Amino acid sequence: MDFACIQVPWFAIAVARRENPQLAGRPVVVGGAPEEHAEVTACSPEAMAAGVAPGMSLRRALALCPGAVFLPLAASVLRAEADRLAALLRERSPVVEEAGQGHLHCEIRGLPELLGLGTATYLAQLRESLAGETGLPVLAGAATTVFAAHAACSALGLGIGIAGDRGGPRQSISVVPGREREFLAHLPVKVLPVEPAMHQRLRLFGIERLAQVAALPLSAMQAQFGPAGRRAWELANGRDSSRLQPAQEELRVTEEVELPAPAVSQAALLAGSEAALARAFGREEVAGRAVRIVTWWAGLEDSTRVSRRLAFREPTADPRHALFVLRSKVEALRLPAPALSVGVELAGICSEYAHQQLLWSSGRGRQRELDDAIAQLHARAGEPQVYRIVEVQPWSRIPERQAALVAYGS
Amino acid sequence: MVTDSGAPGGARGLRFLNRPRGLAVEADGAGEPHAIAWQGRFRRVTVIHDRWRIDDEWWREEISRVYFEVELEGGRRLTVFHDLVAGGWFLQPYRPPTTTGEPPGGAARRR
Repeated sequence: MDFACIQVPWFAIAVARRENPQLAGRPVVVGGAPEEHAEVTACSPEAMAAGVAPGMSLRRALALCPGAVFLPLAASVLRAEADRLAALLRERSPVVEEAGQGHLHCEIRGLPELLGLGTATYLAQLRESLAGETGLPVLAGAATTVFAAHAACSALGLGIGIAGDRGGPRQSISVVPGREREFLAHLPVKVLPVEPAMHQRLRLFGIERLAQVAALPLSAMQAQFGPAGRRAWELANGRDSSRLQPAQEELRVTEEVELPAPAVSQAALLAGSEAALARAFGREEVAGRAVRIVTWWAGLEDSTRVSRRLAFREPTADPRHALFVLRSKVEALRLPAPALSVGVELAGICSEYAHQQLLWSSGRGRQRELDDAIAQLHARAGEPQVYRIVEVQPWSRIPERQAALVAYGS
Repeated sequence: MVTDSGAPGGARGLRFLNRPRGLAVEADGAGEPHAIAWQGRFRRVTVIHDRWRIDDEWWREEISRVYFEVELEGGRRLTVFHDLVAGGWFLQPYRPPTTTGEPPGGAARRR
């Protein structure tokens, strides 16, 4: 077994029910209060059975399912829960890919053998440990291909004819190597990772099972659905050579500076910001690299934070440039309370951006522009307009001999 | 001797700075200023803080001046000089010569 799929079906509902067990078995709609002009972002199977679907308006959902419990969308909570589940899985597998919130794929090649366990036992223990630590109804599937593992786990979530050892619903399943095509054959096309429009068209064609897709000529699937049709046909036939693509952890560098005294003045905030930027850009991780995004914040006396986000048009490796851009944001701030600290977080760290240098250095180029402008001014006025002071006889005891004005450019 | 004070220009647009400006001064018998016309009226000189004399360039147009650093009633301080060659009084802020430079050949003359 090479791959496992871990899913928490109806993730948003599962998290809500864990927080409030009284919601179990009741229709639940997530997205906000029904009087709000918003859409359903998630709903429980009970609500779905009443006709509610993600994407419809909350008012329509209320009309279809008056007994539903409407919950606000706690996006940050869901994100945190999904991150926690992924972090727990990363402790158990070297390669983890997040397919969605509460939906993860991971490599398990060699791990059961390492623990001296059979694949089924290993998978069951993996599922139990994740479910135990998160308190969520975790399902697990394993197979020699990513899609077979995903399809097996999705089938568990859909409750499709896979009975457990004790007659109850199974919560983990491993597909026997070499029998993937046979296993997939009776699964619904719903498990195919394709666009909703293609699912709809498959239904219109009367294609409900993967066996039907597998039985079609490849050319027919390609003709109807293009590359997605070819991919669906290959998956339905148990052909899947895809590999996991673990998310790259983004490097972020954070520095915070305590202000010597509670401050509201922009000068103090800017001074602290300058120090924080200098420290952050001076960090070893950032050396020789450029930054696309700076998040700035001020920690206030009332324990709240005011933050601003800067996205540079071109990545910069210069803290002075970052401060220059930040300055206008800070100057426009009206803090509700004195700031105790200021901090910055650098993100979008990338290779240093290449700039086309001028043939002459900027100083000389600017000097030449200045010379040209002054020459033009003199020509227009007919006599010198700009002078420079030169010391003529600084040693002279006669004051008017010491310095003189010389026409610029002469 | 000071002539054409305040006149602009010189070779290639060279204009000396700190040129003397003519001034109406009432002097006493000792040649010291006791009232100076300043901002439209004569103001009494209350203190003469310093006095020094410069004699120079006797080989071409001789310069001979007596400078006074004075304080007027009201506390205003001015530096004025009396041109001993051509006569007349002039206002001229004074800056001592710097020690960083010296006339061409100065070092050779010392040797």
